[in-house]
Amino acid sequence: MLPSPALRRALTGYGLLAVASLGLPLVTRDSYYVDVATTILMNLVLTMSLRLEMSTGQLNMAHISFLGIGAYASTLLVMRGGYSFWVTLWLAGLAAAAFAVPIGSLALRVTGPYYFLISFAFSEVVRLIFNNFFVGWFGGPSGLVQIPKPDPLRLPGVELTFVSKVELYYLMAVLLLLAAAVLVRVDYSRFGLLANAIRQGDLLAETLGVWVFRYKLTAFVLGSFMAGLAGAFFAHSHQVLHSSDFGLEPMVLLVVFTVIGGTGSVWGPVVGTVTLTIVSEFMREFHYYEILLYGGVLILAMLLVPEGLISVPGRLARLWRRRPGAETMGVGVAP
Amino acid sequence: MPIELLVQALLNGFALALVYVLVALGLTLIFSILEIINFAHGEFYMLGGYATYFGFALFGLPYFPTLLLAIVVVGLAGVVAERLIFRHLRGKTLNAFIVSLGLLWVLQSAAQLSFGVLDKSVPSAFSGIIRAGGIIISVERFVVVLAAVGLIAVLYAFLQWSRVGRAMRAVAQDADGAALQGVNIEFVSMLGFAIGCALAGAAGGLLAPVFAVSPPMGALPVVKAFIIIIVGGMGSLPGAVLGGLLLGTVEGIGSLFFGSAAVNVLGFLMVIAVLLVRPRGLFGVA
Repeated sequence: MLPSPALRRALTGYGLLAVASLGLPLVTRDSYYVDVATTILMNLVLTMSLRLEMSTGQLNMAHISFLGIGAYASTLLVMRGGYSFWVTLWLAGLAAAAFAVPIGSLALRVTGPYYFLISFAFSEVVRLIFNNFFVGWFGGPSGLVQIPKPDPLRLPGVELTFVSKVELYYLMAVLLLLAAAVLVRVDYSRFGLLANAIRQGDLLAETLGVWVFRYKLTAFVLGSFMAGLAGAFFAHSHQVLHSSDFGLEPMVLLVVFTVIGGTGSVWGPVVGTVTLTIVSEFMREFHYYEILLYGGVLILAMLLVPEGLISVPGRLARLWRRRPGAETMGVGVAP
Repeated sequence: MPIELLVQALLNGFALALVYVLVALGLTLIFSILEIINFAHGEFYMLGGYATYFGFALFGLPYFPTLLLAIVVVGLAGVVAERLIFRHLRGKTLNAFIVSLGLLWVLQSAAQLSFGVLDKSVPSAFSGIIRAGGIIISVERFVVVLAAVGLIAVLYAFLQWSRVGRAMRAVAQDADGAALQGVNIEFVSMLGFAIGCALAGAAGGLLAPVFAVSPPMGALPVVKAFIIIIVGGMGSLPGAVLGGLLLGTVEGIGSLFFGSAAVNVLGFLMVIAVLLVRPRGLFGVA
């Protein structure tokens, strides 16, 4: 039996992502490109998981805080507790998820702009705690330095090291592909359908017997777990942590990537993150005008394609089918 | 602790908080009419600061006419922003958020390119201090408080009793219903956006002599304004005033006991505490 078109699209998308991310070092090993690509892959984990939370209609401005919780948790477990990175990687995700349960239970009682603002308040509290409190643990305003790189992974027969940029890139690529597999699977499941239903009308979904709060919280905790995983990678690949890494500015970039890409599809954040990162790398040419132009691009993009870049092919296809003299005019043209 | 110290701390907290209430009122007015959260609101505050710097410090105009000029200029900037951009985004909260971020970056970096990155200081318009008992307040802060209270009163009267103000409240309640009654929605949302921006401009003009003027100066007041409107309830004007007074109290008294970082945390903890008890804020409606 042939797979359904939705499943075929999911598999194709995932295949493309896997080939592109695993194949990149075969094309270039230039350390600048590998650096940019590593950042893109890490941001993809963050934007794709943020989009999972947004698929239930909630914009979580504290997503970056769970990156921070994972990063600090893994760093402290490695540096103070003497654990291996391969253990703390998962503990970092679990720590973020553990914090997500109480925070989500409180914050998800409100919706819309209120949720947006309360999650922003949470993120500022977390950032200020990293910056000003428990200085013995979090290093205060000067942050944490000399965080060790991931220790070698001993598999039967081989020993993998993670020291060079390319080796770290491959580690991130594998983490991304694991996270993406879960997120794509979730998106094409009953959970994904229900999340969409909740976004389009949470009251209606609730009257039909959907336990709305539980779905929102599950998305929140799962998304935070993934941000925590990314946090462990962030800490041990950058080797330096500072509270401003988890502040409003990087959070805002994640939202921009996700929304410009389009939140209607699981692939939207991928398109948005890759496109905007490349655009902003090109804009470095313009020095002083970089931020001005970037802001202008955001305004125009949102006014011209409000559904995100991912909607462009569909729009073009509809325009093509509606062109004057098209044979199928009026037939099979979905609104 | 001597009671004078407590009153002094409260007064200091209130003086700034009242100006932040002006910023918050603008934000909440725009939110209630267009259903968007304007992240670039702080940049209109910044424009007000620069207008005051140019008028008062550079061209030597008297202070109050300069303030009026700042209000008008920033209001007009608001008209342009609404006509060109925000009227297309009514009710699209998420898209408006991204667009307002873009606008924030455009305005901030345009200010940097044209006015320079360095702080510009604006001389005090008023000197001297007032003593009452053991309490000391500078004339400058006193004028700031009076002007802020005056502007809040004018806004309240305008919304409560003028014809256009009533139309604005009608649109805030139900835009479609108001349109059916013959309210010109386009005009009301343009005017509402302009008034919201003008209030931010006034706040920038009032605080320009207190702090220096710089391109990123809008970030702090806009965060304070967010705290104020969440605590007070989005879309509620009395709520914004009460939220501002609460924030002033918490920060004023908090600064007696804790350092500035802990005081910032206090503000956000207040937000979380209020939302746990009243998820829509103190005066918010569902």
